[in-house]
Amino acid sequence: MAEEEDDPGFDEDLDDGSNGVDSGQGKRKRLFSKELRCMMYGFGDDQNPYTESVDILEDLVIEFITEMTHKAMSIGRQGRVQVEDIVFLIRKDPRKFARVKDLLTMNEELKKARKAFDEANYGS
Amino acid sequence: SSAEDAAAAAGDEEEGSSSLHPPPAKKLKVEHDKKKEKRQKVDEDEIQKMQVLVSSFSEEQLNRYEMYRRAAFPKAAIKRLIQSITGSSVSQNVVIAMSGIAKVFAGEIVEEALDVCEKWGDTPPLQPKHMREAVRRLKSREQIPNSKHKKILFH
Repeated sequence: MAEEEDDPGFDEDLDDGSNGVDSGQGKRKRLFSKELRCMMYGFGDDQNPYTESVDILEDLVIEFITEMTHKAMSIGRQGRVQVEDIVFLIRKDPRKFARVKDLLTMNEELKKARKAFDEANYGS
Repeated sequence: SSAEDAAAAAGDEEEGSSSLHPPPAKKLKVEHDKKKEKRQKVDEDEIQKMQVLVSSFSEEQLNRYEMYRRAAFPKAAIKRLIQSITGSSVSQNVVIAMSGIAKVFAGEIVEEALDVCEKWGDTPPLQPKHMREAVRRLKSREQIPNSKHKKILFH
């Protein structure tokens, strides 16, 4: 059955970001293993997620970003990815839409605060 | 009719004031300010509720919550990934936005996978079969973008 997939195997100890085991998408070098482990735990998984599951999630995330990027390139200014494009593409997904709005707003506020701080210290 | 005008002017601020309408711009601004006030009140309530919740967390829950808030994709890697596809540079805001929604995406998968795991009578750690089933379910609900195949609308 699917029993063989359940065994994490010996890969856990070898996970230093360059796991060469083919987990479905070819032998791509692992980009986010460390961060994804923390993320999965944060989202509710065990404190020590299975490497194979982390790899699957990484492949999914990369696929997601790739698709979004291609779509963004095909709208608005062709061949470029702009924030407006991303906002447009996820407009119907309430969670993601709200998140992007929040992040961009926070970033603007941070920039203003930093600028005000700099001017207070070095201005006039 | 000048008494009417005075009365209407006095009721200017109220919504749905009848005979003499206030200038549209002012009416819009009043509505906007009321909505903004309400939104801020709702935000403040949310923040307070979260504080009450977090203050009741066990140590394990606090650990998990901290990871939940802090875990993030490395910006440099995301930037490199996007730029390798576009062939040109992207702004910081694009990287911020993309990292953000990628995290939401990851969360949706893990949530669904945990649901599957529970329904199948298993326990964490999540196994590949849970992840794959989660993807299947999200795709059937169209929560995962897939431009590779066309949906057949009419047979």
